[in-house]
This record gives sequence, C-alpha cells and structure tokens, in this order.
Amino acid sequence: MKEQRHTCTLRVNGEDAAVVFAVHHTLLEVLREEVGLTGTKHGCELGECGTCTVLIDGKAVLSCLELAVECEGREIETVEGLMIGNELHPLQSAFADLGAAQCGYCTPGILMAAKGLLAENPSPSRDHVIEALGGNLCRCTGYHKILEAVEWGAAILRGDLASRPPPEVFHGDRIPGEEVVDA
Amino acid sequence: MTEEMKIKVGFGDTFRELTVRIPDGDIPPYQPGDPLDLVGTSEIRLDAVAKVTGTAEFTYDRQPKGLIYGKILRSPHANANIRSIDVSQARALEGVRAVLTTPDVFEDSTARYAGAEIAAVAADSEAIADEAVRMIEVDYEVLPFCVTIDDSMAEGAPKVGRGNQENVDRVSPRARRRRRGGEINADAEASMVARMKEREKTVDKLFAKSKGVVEGEFRTQVQTHAPLETHGVVCDWDGKNLLCYGSSQATFGFKRELGSSRGPVGAKDVRVICEYVGGGFGSKFSAGREGVLGAMLAREAGKPVRLMLDRKEEQTSAGNRPDSLQKLKMGVAADGTILAYRVRSWGTPGTGTGGAGAHNDGIYNLGEIDKVEYGVRTNCGGARAHRAPGWPQGVFALEQMMDMGAQSVGLDPIEFRKRNDDHPIRTAQYDIAREKIGWDRPRVRGGAATVCRGVGVASNLWFSAGGRGTQVMVRVHKDGQVEVRNGAQDIGTGTRTVMGMVAAEELGLPLARVRTFIGDTRDPQGPGSGGSTTIGSITPAARLAGYVAKQRLLEVVAARKNWPIDQLGLRRGHVTRSGDPVLSFDAACQLMEEDVIEVLESRKANYAGFSDTNAGVQCAEVEVDTETGEVRVIKVVAVADAGKLINPMLAESQVRGGVSQGVGYALLERRIMDSQEGRMVNPNLEMYKLLGAVDCPEIEVVLFDVYNGKSNTSVMGLGEPPIVATAAAVANAVSDAIGVRITEIPITPRKVLEALGRKGSDTGKKGE
Ligand code: FES
Ligand code: FES
Repeated sequence: MKEQRHTCTLRVNGEDAAVVFAVHHTLLEVLREEVGLTGTKHGCELGECGTCTVLIDGKAVLSCLELAVECEGREIETVEGLMIGNELHPLQSAFADLGAAQCGYCTPGILMAAKGLLAENPSPSRDHVIEALGGNLCRCTGYHKILEAVEWGAAILRGDLASRPPPEVFHGDRIPGEEVVDA
Repeated sequence: MTEEMKIKVGFGDTFRELTVRIPDGDIPPYQPGDPLDLVGTSEIRLDAVAKVTGTAEFTYDRQPKGLIYGKILRSPHANANIRSIDVSQARALEGVRAVLTTPDVFEDSTARYAGAEIAAVAADSEAIADEAVRMIEVDYEVLPFCVTIDDSMAEGAPKVGRGNQENVDRVSPRARRRRRGGEINADAEASMVARMKEREKTVDKLFAKSKGVVEGEFRTQVQTHAPLETHGVVCDWDGKNLLCYGSSQATFGFKRELGSSRGPVGAKDVRVICEYVGGGFGSKFSAGREGVLGAMLAREAGKPVRLMLDRKEEQTSAGNRPDSLQKLKMGVAADGTILAYRVRSWGTPGTGTGGAGAHNDGIYNLGEIDKVEYGVRTNCGGARAHRAPGWPQGVFALEQMMDMGAQSVGLDPIEFRKRNDDHPIRTAQYDIAREKIGWDRPRVRGGAATVCRGVGVASNLWFSAGGRGTQVMVRVHKDGQVEVRNGAQDIGTGTRTVMGMVAAEELGLPLARVRTFIGDTRDPQGPGSGGSTTIGSITPAARLAGYVAKQRLLEVVAARKNWPIDQLGLRRGHVTRSGDPVLSFDAACQLMEEDVIEVLESRKANYAGFSDTNAGVQCAEVEVDTETGEVRVIKVVAVADAGKLINPMLAESQVRGGVSQGVGYALLERRIMDSQEGRMVNPNLEMYKLLGAVDCPEIEVVLFDVYNGKSNTSVMGLGEPPIVATAAAVANAVSDAIGVRITEIPITPRKVLEALGRKGSDTGKKGE
C-alpha cells in the first residue's frame, strides 16, 4: 500500500520547515510527527476537545481539522513558539504562577486559544475569555485558574498591572489561618 | 522497637495531646508552631514551566527511532463468540510488521461488548495499520445481548456471561466461596441468607418504631473518565527487556503486569517511564489489553510500537463509573436520630459483577443497617476505578434521603445531619459551609416563580492517610546538588512538587535547589495514584530521607569543624549553629569526603492519630428555570480536609477539579447505550458532554489544616473526596429550588420539566 506523499515547506514559529508527508495528514499529525513539535496535543482528532489548538495567521484553529497541504505559505504558531526570546510569554508565566496547568495536557491548546483572543482583544472581559475558550476542554482544573491566568497574562501584556493586581495564588480560606493556637 | 511519645493533634484552636508509638527509625509528625519555611506555602509546581512551554513529554509524544504504529480491531457486536479469525490478508499487506489475535494472546474467544479487542496489528504507518485492520476477517457467532441494567434484570433476559454466570449476582453480603473454582459453599450461603433475613426483621421493627419513615428510588448513570490524554503505550524492546512508556497512574503496577511470568508478555526486565500523564482519574492503574497488545506487537515486529487509543476507543473501552439503581428506606426518631436504614442496590460494571457497589452508608450514623448490593452483567465496556469508586453514586442517593429524613421530622437539613454525625472534623465544617453559601438568605424557591433558586448540602469522607510500600531516595552531592527520587507518577496532583517540598524543608533549602525525579521504575518504588494515598505514602518517606540525609551531612560538618552536633541545623541554605547561620550549604557539602551521601528511606507504618478519615462538606446553590427546565449551578462551597496542608494551591486545585467533575456528573455526563444495536451512541466529546468553562460555577474552597498525626507529615490525600458530595448537593439544591425531588442524574431539562409536571398533577393530593 503506497501513500501519496507531498513535499512542501511549512512556516512554523517563524522558521521554515521542509517536510514530506502523506497528503491526507492533518496539520496536527505533521507538526507532531514530521516537524517534531509535540507540544500540540492529540485529544480527540474530531474537533471536540481543543488540545490541538494552534494559530494560523494569528487565528486560533483546531489543527486536527486542518489538512497540512493547505497550510503552505501561512504563518503557523504553536506553543513552542510562544516564548519571547528566553523569557516566558506573560500568558505562560501567569499559567505557571497561578497553577492553571494541572496535568498540563490541555495547557498548550488553551495558551494558543488565549493568544489568539488577545491578538484581537487585548482587554477581554471574563465573558470574552470564556467564549474564546469555549472549545477547549479541561478535565482537571475546574477552569477558574485558567480564566484568571488569561486575564492576568493580558494585563501583563498591556503593561497594566496597576488596574489588575496579580490574583491570589491560593484562593481558599484556610482554617486555622496562620495563627497557631496551643492546647 | 517503637518509641512512645506525646504529640499534639487537632485543628483550629483545639488541639489535644495524644500518646503514640512512632515506628522505629521514624521522626515525629509536624507539630503546630513548628518553624516551617516551605511546608504550608503555595510553591509553584516544579513542572509548571515544562507544562506551559510544551516540553513536558507525555506518552503520546514519545517517538523512539524506528517507531511504527499499532491499531486494535474491535468487535462490532455486543455479544458474540469468535469462531475463527483470518489474518492472512492483513499479514500479507506491505508495511505490516506484526499481527496478533485476542484468542491467542488472552485465550479468550468471546467478544462480550461492542468494542471488545479482537486482534491488533502494527504497521509502518497509521494508514497501513488501519487498512490491515479492515482486512482481518472474523467469523462471529452473534448472540443476543443486554446493554442496560433494566434489560439485563428482566425476566428471560439473554445471558451476558458464559457458563453458569447469572446476569445478577449478589456482591454484598457474600457467603464464603470454596477455595478453588469460586463456587459458593451451599451451607455458608444458607446461613448467610438466614442472617440477612434476621437483619431485615430487626430493621423492620425499627421502622415501625420510627416517627418518620421515608423511601426513595434513585438512579445514576454511567460516567466515563474521559482523561484528555487517552490510554496507551509506546513500547520498545531490547532483547528480552521491555521499555514501556505508558500513560499510567501506576508505573509499578504496569511493571508488575507486563513482567509477570503468568501474563502474556512476561518480559524479563521491564522499565516503565511516565513522567507526565494527561489525566487518569482511576482508569490508568492497569496497562490494560491495549498495553499488553502494544508490548507484544513491538516484540513481534522487532521495532518500537506506539499504540494509543483514539477517542472512540477511550470512551467505550477504557473504563467508566458503574451506574446504579438504589432503593432506600430510612426510619427517623422524633428527635431526629436515624434509627434504621435499608439499602437495595444494583449497578453494572460491564460484563463482570465486581465493583458495582454504591457506597451510601459510612458517613452518618444510620442506626441499624440492612444492606444488600447486586452486580448486574451487561454487554458494555468494563468499569475501572473512577475517582472515589462507588461514592458519588451512593452519596447522591444517601444525601437526598437525608433531606427527606430531615423533612419527615421537621428539621433543617444541616441540623439533621449534625445530629447524626460525630466526625470530629466534619462537625466543625457544616456551619462554615452554611455561612459561605448563604444558606439562610431568603430566596425565591419551591417553584414559586419562573426562575427559582435553591441550596443543598452533602458530605464526604475519605481514608487517605497512605501507607507502607514506598521508598524515597535523597542524594546530596559534594558539589551541593540534591536529588530526590521516587518512581511513581504525578497525574497532575502535584506529587513531584510536594515530594520535593518536604525533603527540601528538612535540608533547609529552597525548593528550586532540589532536583526531583519521578515516573521511572528504575527509581525507588512508589504507590499507584489511587485511593488518594499517593501524597500520604510518598511524603513521609521523602521527609524521613531528607531528615536522615541532613543528619549525615551535619555529622560530617560536626566532625570536620569540631562543632557539637546537637547545636547544628540546616535552614535557609545554611548550616546553623545554635540557630545562627555559620556555613553555606554548598560549603558544608564541600567538607564531604565522598562524592555523595545517599539515603534510601521507607514509608513507615501509620500510627494512631486524630482521625482515620478525612472529612468534607459541600453546599451548592442552583438556579432553575421552571419554563425551560434548565439548571445552572451558581456556586459550590467545598469545605475540605487534607490533613496537614503541604501546598494549599495544589490542594485547592484538587478540590476545584473534583467539584467540576461532580457538577458535570450531576448535569451533563452520561454514557448512552443503544438497546437495539448494543453500541455506545456517544463515544466522543461532542455528545458525551464534559463541563466546559461556560458551565463551570464559582467554586469557593475552604481547606482545613489538620494536624492529623498518622504519619510524620500528617497529610491526607485529596484527589477523590471532593467529587463525592457535589452531585448530591446539586440535586438537593434543585429540589429546594423547584419543590420536587429529582431522583436521577444527570439532571437534564427534560427531567426537571417532568418532575414539575408530576408535582403539578400531585397538587390537591395530600402531601407527605
Ligand atoms: S484533537 Fe483537535 S479538537 Fe481534539
Ligand atoms: S490540566 Fe489536565 S486537562 Fe486541563
């Protein structure tokens, strides 16, 4: 059984990658198997979970639904390209600091969806964030910290920390608080 | 020899002294007022950066050189016997490297659910593997089937099992079985039946004496684990030795399974690596048939094989939480004391009957209990342990009965619970939950308007002090490097981080100064991530290993500097003498004669502590639209007890995650089986709905910091307890909002409207 193969150059994270792949392969498969960027995750390959989200020409798309052949000549961005030089992107540092990544499997897709949102709307409201992440499932966190991390990352990017102080790392009440009472 | 000593246990402002016997070689637990720099702080996960940069390598991401691809052929029939399998065409296809069949590998010629493994292939590309799977010809003897417990329990239902397996089996109480063959001893069975009859009578008498008697019938659905990373392995052989990258929550469990000489793989030496896993929730303890097939395909092909399940396989074949049908009865005395409780419950864990039980006793004092549980076989994908196995379904029913019981004697639901609860921690949690949810605020409730609100309460308990069988290694190098090692996995709970924290605390180092190694069976043995016992098992060993390494280092310093050792300590990167820093940690390491101090310490046995169980209370507030039937969970307050808190941020994350899964269980998730075709109708994430960001309520977490004193870290794990109470609290809130009880989850708009319809037609009749 011979697969029809296609040769082309994809532009990923600002660099050209020459790749050969079966014509029916999705962008997700080509990124992971041919380009060797495994940060973008498989969750369903059905367009239902969001773990495979990448940016194409700045817009968040599900890479499991894109044919790689159709991505030639377009700017593809994955989680591996998110860092700014040697520094974490503010979204990344916000996710790390707030504990928004639990098992971490949904994280790359969510980061890319968030970056796509902030490109369009640098000061999104909570509802905007929820809407932009509507297609990204997370089975671990209960979302709250993810939403906060996106908002905080946005504030850092805007250089607007005065109006948006860092959220608390730990939200809950703690009994007995800090005081220690002796018997 | 064990050492007897007095420790303080308790929480809040009430501590008491307890005399305990600390096991030989162990150190006493953290005590209130201990000067701790790391423990109790919200340190950022050690692997946070790997996770946000995409460098964290999950099983799916492993690509050893020469990797080929595995694929499983699955049965399209719900119940069949395999007469023969012809793999000749598949084998002949170019690019196919290995073909295996289930009858050969597992000596099993049945296919008892649609999705059962029939054969597997490995090929040079996924497309070839797909094609090869299609070319396998199977001759099935197709049999009638049952895919719901109602079908299976019906008179004259087709038989799911083989031989003399009945569809319905009493799983508890159970008579003793004969040693071999598993047959029930007839005499033992007869005396068990007689005892059950006695119990029934006792409980009947108490019902007759009760002021309030309430009865209910409850149903819960099958819930799948739906981790975002599916199950699977990447396997690579080196002669007789197997290297298995597995999406696992029990690296050592995988190792035992694949290495067992009685198993089909029987590898001589197995190394399992799982540094990152995209969720497990109980479903990834076993390598499963997919893991075994992956390993055997790789051996036959002589090349590394990746066999990861696709989403459909994940949802049908990789485990689930059994459903339940629970018929309950409760008798309550006039003062609100529960006198008696009866349970008859059924549940289906797939083609077997084990693990079907619903835990609907054990939290409250329920008086005399008469409980019988049945497992029901169906032609469905099998259950695997699922976050607090048996509890969310049981507590869903129990907590509604508690509300009904309270009503029968005119008591407030929370007051009623307190009256029947003596847990030392939970009794302190009710009022906090009550206040935080605004229990006593006026609300439009009882279906009195189009949009109504209601509140509900439910409790949980857990048994997660952890136990023996874990070892942690600490190495202090002459150049100041510190390693902390344990081979267990971190399924997102933060195991790596807390292990590092307790060891670093002993060594007086910031967390960033220790390097942690996990998820590799070459390192010392660790627990499976189960029963929420990982943290309780690993941290005491890590703390002890850190402590012993510290002592060894201080001995070196004392000898070389001629300082009395009892004046020395380690804190904030320094050796301290009488509390003052005198030497940097690195300089102290330089004094070592050998290159490394290596310490391997075991988790010692638990000792008497404050409480054997950890407790929680949750309250939910919901809004129900009585015209559309839509339910929105506004807020959940989760009061939880994790023993001594090591890292509040991580503990909080566990609670949020558990609650959000619980809300999904209450409102959305449900495996749907087609009774005609015998297949799962929604094996995907579109029709099988997980809670999304849009539906997720506000979750307020309150963590109790309990000096539990059962081990040297006093920790209790927190993975499972938070999911136990949520669906129950939501259901009670819905009935508070609409004035009628919904006895089945998920609570869909249709069920709400039906319930409101029932209520409408009931008006005029005498209310109970
Ligand atoms: S893998 Fe693309 S949406 Fe799930
Ligand atoms: S962190 Fe595990 S799926 Fe989101």
